[in-house]
Amino acid sequence: MKTTNNHYDVVIIGGGVVGCAIARELSKYKTSIAVLEKEDDVGWGISCRNSGVVHAGFNYKSGTLRAQLCVEGNKSFAKLCHELDVPYKKIGKVIVAQKKEEIRELKKLKTQGEKNKVGGLQIIDSAELKRLEPNVKGIAALYSPETAIISPYLLTIALAENALTNGVSFFLNTEAKSIAKLRNSDFRINTNKGEFTSSYVINSAGLYSDKVAHMVEKDKYRIYPCRGEYYVLDKNASWIINHLIYPVPKAGTGGLGVHFTPTIDKNILIGPSNEYIKQKDNLSTTSQIMKMLSAEAQKFLPLISSRDIIRSYSGIRAKQAPPSEGGYWDFVIEESNSVNNFINLIGIESPGLASAQPIAKRVVEIINKKEKLSLNSNFNPFRKGILRFEEQDEETKKALIKQDPDYGEIICRCEQVTKKEILEAINNPLGAKSLISIKYRSRAMMGRCQGGYCLTRIIEILRNEFGLTLQEINLKGDNSYLFSGYRSDEVNKL
Amino acid sequence: MHREFICILCPNSCRISVEYEGTNIKNIKGDGCPKGKDYVKNEITNPLRVFTGSVLVESGNFSLASVKTPVPIPKKYLKEIGEITHCLKMKAPIKIGQVVAQNLLGEDIDLIATRKVNIINK
Amino acid sequence: MKEREVIIIGGGAAGLAAAVACKQKGIEDILIIERGDYLGGILQQCIHDGFGLEKFHTSLSGPEYAQRYIDQVKEKEIPFLLNSMVVNLTPQKEVVVANSNGLQHYRAKVIILAMGCRERTRGAIGIPGARPSGIYTAGVAQELINLKNYMIGNKIVILGSGDIGLIMARRLTLEGAEVITVAEKLPYSSGLSRNINQCLYDFDIPLLLSHTVVDIEGNGRLSGVTIAQLGKRGGIIPGSKRKITCDTLLLSVGLIPENELSREAGIVLDNITGGPQVDERGQTSVPGTFACGNVLQVHDIVDNVSLEAEYIVEGVARYLEGKLIKEQEIKVELGEGLRYVVPQKLISRKDTIFSFRVNQPGEKKILVFEDGKKVIKKKSLRRVNPAEMVRVKLSSSELEGIKRLKVRLV
Repeated sequence: MKTTNNHYDVVIIGGGVVGCAIARELSKYKTSIAVLEKEDDVGWGISCRNSGVVHAGFNYKSGTLRAQLCVEGNKSFAKLCHELDVPYKKIGKVIVAQKKEEIRELKKLKTQGEKNKVGGLQIIDSAELKRLEPNVKGIAALYSPETAIISPYLLTIALAENALTNGVSFFLNTEAKSIAKLRNSDFRINTNKGEFTSSYVINSAGLYSDKVAHMVEKDKYRIYPCRGEYYVLDKNASWIINHLIYPVPKAGTGGLGVHFTPTIDKNILIGPSNEYIKQKDNLSTTSQIMKMLSAEAQKFLPLISSRDIIRSYSGIRAKQAPPSEGGYWDFVIEESNSVNNFINLIGIESPGLASAQPIAKRVVEIINKKEKLSLNSNFNPFRKGILRFEEQDEETKKALIKQDPDYGEIICRCEQVTKKEILEAINNPLGAKSLISIKYRSRAMMGRCQGGYCLTRIIEILRNEFGLTLQEINLKGDNSYLFSGYRSDEVNKL
Repeated sequence: MHREFICILCPNSCRISVEYEGTNIKNIKGDGCPKGKDYVKNEITNPLRVFTGSVLVESGNFSLASVKTPVPIPKKYLKEIGEITHCLKMKAPIKIGQVVAQNLLGEDIDLIATRKVNIINK
Repeated sequence: MKEREVIIIGGGAAGLAAAVACKQKGIEDILIIERGDYLGGILQQCIHDGFGLEKFHTSLSGPEYAQRYIDQVKEKEIPFLLNSMVVNLTPQKEVVVANSNGLQHYRAKVIILAMGCRERTRGAIGIPGARPSGIYTAGVAQELINLKNYMIGNKIVILGSGDIGLIMARRLTLEGAEVITVAEKLPYSSGLSRNINQCLYDFDIPLLLSHTVVDIEGNGRLSGVTIAQLGKRGGIIPGSKRKITCDTLLLSVGLIPENELSREAGIVLDNITGGPQVDERGQTSVPGTFACGNVLQVHDIVDNVSLEAEYIVEGVARYLEGKLIKEQEIKVELGEGLRYVVPQKLISRKDTIFSFRVNQPGEKKILVFEDGKKVIKKKSLRRVNPAEMVRVKLSSSELEGIKRLKVRLV
């Protein structure tokens, strides 16, 4: 492979929500930055596959980074979403006790939350719980009004797009294979797409952050994959809950317990499970876990029916705590103590999403202490997202169609996504062209028919308006082709 | 030899049992009408099927024109005819019943169009 | 707001037949609203034959059957919109349509729902395993192959022996792919027997009854599935798991009437059919809104869809004339052996066609219609199968004076 001499002040390995947040944060300063992402698009590791909750910060031991950064992130999240033009809703959360002993746990969480400076926490009784959540079974609850929901994939994409606008270079399908420290103390990063050199490397490789750290230093970190499976319910079931519904967390497990998340798009997520697995990329769902999720759902929300399930998916937590121990270790955000200018982000699991921007700020601080960064006066914090036709009022819809008839053609019937939005999704600044990339940006294929109507139409748009060959049409990069060829020999030139 | 056939001629789907040796039929039971009996006889001696498939169309409002054999053809030729359709191409407009190909495989097998395709201006 | 007498939502088999029947009844002001860029709906991609045996006494392919109605729509100059999606339907029979010309509002005296159905997905039935590409529902695969000239894969496993799965087994074989097997979770096939014969036996494609897919493998593209045998109570029989190497999984696991608009309009749906509850005129719980075709109940023979559409248009015509008198309403009670009955209620005692599906396959059954203890009618059925809809007509003289109506299969 030809060596490309790409030098950047900072190379960020890993384009998840944290990597992209760091890229954006750094682009506020006069530095050259590159993000190397091994997948076809940003956020395909952990960032797109969680519940999308911006936690308030009461779940974490006081004094830890998880507690501090979560609370800090939660308080500034609305502003961040406004700047990035991504949806945000402060929907609130109830942690529901079903047994008397659990109320003690609720009180502990409240105390911890207050110590962490979380606002508005209240213990509510069954009458108040019934008023807030008529369909939930419980005897008491901890109510957290500051907990919010977002779309984790829209956020990650928006962070990346804004960083791109502000001068950051993104290299997708680019995987770091080895890293060498050069005599001038720069790094040389060898990837499948050539070499990069940089003064700083930021290791935000999520599930593979241990592997990347090991490229420069002794085997210090170990990431254990812990999978969580989810169900997604049809929007028709969204009336069942009004807030995030969580059980009282059990100590020593890998997660916060199976919870019920109303998403920003009005689906309901049930999950996640938590199960330590062997492979870091095993995103399979299993029938045992799905049965367990159904049983948990029945415990809290008997009105939920399996008929409402439209799909399931899984995400994998990057845990530092080994399977024998479970539970959580604190975030690692630090410069390596054996390799200068190599900054490690290890074990960023929940509340990584809420903490993304504060984590990014901490990383900038680390670099600033060494470099005295100067501000980029051209930095523009604002980014415009794809306008959702379905959300507009009638007058606006009419005006949009008049201005651009592609707004009048509905491609995804279930989610009412127009051709214009699909065109914009395909034409995204990062150049991602897989069906999943289009799905995340436009919401097409996320409805109850799961692409039954729109898939053919989207493929025609990819071919006719973007000139993709049949072979190039893929689901999620990496050999995920859709077609083996044309049906007819006449045209069969692949 | 004994075999039970499901007659395909109409939705009644009569189950007809046959005893036969080679192409020599000894006994037929369960046929709901004379057509069914003939059908089973044919299934043993010379099974016939209508072939349906598609051919490419140039400049049409559909990329493909669906086609069929106007009469049932020997079952053994179905896959081969399928392969042949992959090499055929027509120009729009296409009318239903229009001849697409004739005497395929030298066996008097024709293909006619079954979808109306209009010309589009590109 | 544009006013219309009749708006038909959907330009497929049901919508086309309803439109033509309306015109034949002297109704002039009709509008068909179709979201696709052609009329005919699903018929256009069903290029196999066997359509029209009852209606036209000949065997036609889907496109030919559709064209008979499309020609009539054009001859009779019935207006239609293509590439137009109904985005809103109200109980006041107002319709909002979106297309590249803008958002248009219509109000109709009669709405005929003919939106058809969608396919059940992998996600909805919860097949565990990886999420590679190469998993298609049968109808989508049919559209891609028969309308777009795209080949979906080379080595196929099909889950579900419903008609669409069987038809696709043959189609894929004729187009040069290898169909390794068809797995069916029930102990009997849910497709028409004619199709098992012509699509599987003809090509020596094995049909594995009481089998289902329990795992899916593949990182980018599908690389294999695991099938397993199911016991009487639906559990996996230990030791029966078997891996099949393949690159495509085709799902034919059920159709769901597409009633989101109906739901929005507050129309009461039947939990079993998934379609609106209707009276013998095909009228839903919203007066002046009728339903026919797959949106009302999933059909297996398109001839019945056309007949059903023509039949409900009689009610449409009466409604427009103000002659749809509601007499004492009788709920049609479902007895043993039956999965559902359409219509779900009677508001008059006129000639009525009842459609049923049975719970289990069976032979030499009798359909019994009862008014309390009195037997109104008995119909012998030589062979019944959940995959084959049963249609029975009761005349007005048979229905006259009844106080209750219960139907059961013995």
